[in-house]
Amino acid sequence: MNDSNLVEVEDLYFSRSGRQIFSGVDLVVPKGKITAIMGPSGTGKTTLLKLIGGQLAPDRGRVHIANKDVHRLSRSELFRMRRRMGMLFQSGALFSDLSVFENVAFPIRVHTNLPETMIRDLALIKLQAVGLRGARALMPSELSGGMTRRVALARALSLDPDLIMYDEPFVGQDPISMGVLVKLIRQLNQAFNMTAIVVSHDIKETLSIADYVYVISDGRVMAKGSPEELGKASDPRVSQFVHGEPDGPVPFHYPTDVDFADDILRGSGLKERTS
Amino acid sequence: MINQLAALGRGTINVLEALGRSVIFLVMGLRLPLQNGLGLLLRQIHFVGVLSLPIVIVSGVFIGMVLALQGYVVLVDFSAEEALGQMVALSLLRELAPVVTALLFAGRAGSALTAEIGLMKATEQLTSMEMIGVDPLKRVIAPRLWAGFISLPVLTVFFSVVGIFGGYLVGVDWLGVYSGSFWSTMQNSVLFTDDILNGMVKSVVFAVVVTWIAVFQGYDLEPTSEGISRATTRTVVYGSLAVLGMDFILTALMFGEF
Repeated sequence: MNDSNLVEVEDLYFSRSGRQIFSGVDLVVPKGKITAIMGPSGTGKTTLLKLIGGQLAPDRGRVHIANKDVHRLSRSELFRMRRRMGMLFQSGALFSDLSVFENVAFPIRVHTNLPETMIRDLALIKLQAVGLRGARALMPSELSGGMTRRVALARALSLDPDLIMYDEPFVGQDPISMGVLVKLIRQLNQAFNMTAIVVSHDIKETLSIADYVYVISDGRVMAKGSPEELGKASDPRVSQFVHGEPDGPVPFHYPTDVDFADDILRGSGLKERTS
Repeated sequence: MINQLAALGRGTINVLEALGRSVIFLVMGLRLPLQNGLGLLLRQIHFVGVLSLPIVIVSGVFIGMVLALQGYVVLVDFSAEEALGQMVALSLLRELAPVVTALLFAGRAGSALTAEIGLMKATEQLTSMEMIGVDPLKRVIAPRLWAGFISLPVLTVFFSVVGIFGGYLVGVDWLGVYSGSFWSTMQNSVLFTDDILNGMVKSVVFAVVVTWIAVFQGYDLEPTSEGISRATTRTVVYGSLAVLGMDFILTALMFGEF
């Protein structure tokens, strides 16, 4: 394993409920860089993060983080390693019974023996960084979607992880909070030299912050390169994705073996079987 | 024919698999976290135990009152109404208190546990806890399991006490049974090991079964709104059936001198 890489994924195979999700994925995440993993919905991008975080085990292949094989670690070693990883969930996944402040303080409380005053300072620093120090007394149910994700970001950062994984950070955000998140992800990476993996299908935002991009489709890496290289890619599938064309090599229509006209003509009197 | 056999086999495998998962889950879920374990446990005892007190006390009083009323109607024909205290106490201690409290507990605390853990799973709170490096089995599951194990036997004691009080209200204050004989027949007939201890053993067994079912159903459910509703129903149905079934077995072992 190359020391300049924090994460290396080799020849990864994974299937779930009989469906092959990955068949031979190789990718590397260099230290201190933002690596984006893109691809159409349903290609298993979130699954890939769960494989990297050790929540799922692959059928074949290896995931190394800082020279350790994630899936060979014992349960307690795995939990210890996760203290150095942060993950921002798409839903935020804040603990609904704790206030904003307690959510951010939670990882510090459980993993350190710091005095209460220092925990308070650390949590407030993280909340200040995402601009929500003033919202510390609110409960998660009182937050908007954008605020939820920023609190979740503050919580993911609370132990200053070496690696942070963003799962669809831009989905469902209004333009302002989208801009805020893009800025935050960029700043965190530059200021703290934090390694980041961004999983997303928001092309413009992702390409604007990523150092290197992998496009995944049909269980493999379909294309990789810097954002500039991908913009000029000649592969029609990559070009369709990067330029957001509705139809192309990835068809607009879900495959069916019956012609549309036949389907309509056959129509009256037939009951649609939905099961 | 072959298809039916295959379906039967598949069903059996699924059931065995779930049983295996639930046993592993129970063993892994018994370890309380070292840090703040007591605090988490007390919070859950408040939630599943203290907050279940009102329903248990109200039910206990009514069941005791009904027992005394029904018992009196039968006993008075034999001029044996003095034995009302014995009858109320033994029915409560041996059967009604452990069983009815466990059924109430499955309905109130069990369903709430399933829904709460299920919602935590559906909103990825359990996953995010894992990613923070905290084992949800220790932090979320263990306090709830132990809280159930501790709370239900204590609730059963409350049920028995207020049930006897309810029986006293009806038997002595209303129907006019002599209060001295109400208590003395009870004192003479109730044995600590045979009646009180056996009742408590039942209650501990029910506590383990009901809490285990409730917490496992919440942890193992399909994280959708349908999944949560199905699992909550299963908690109450399986929990209640398990209590009634276990009660028969335990009664046969404890009192069926053969």
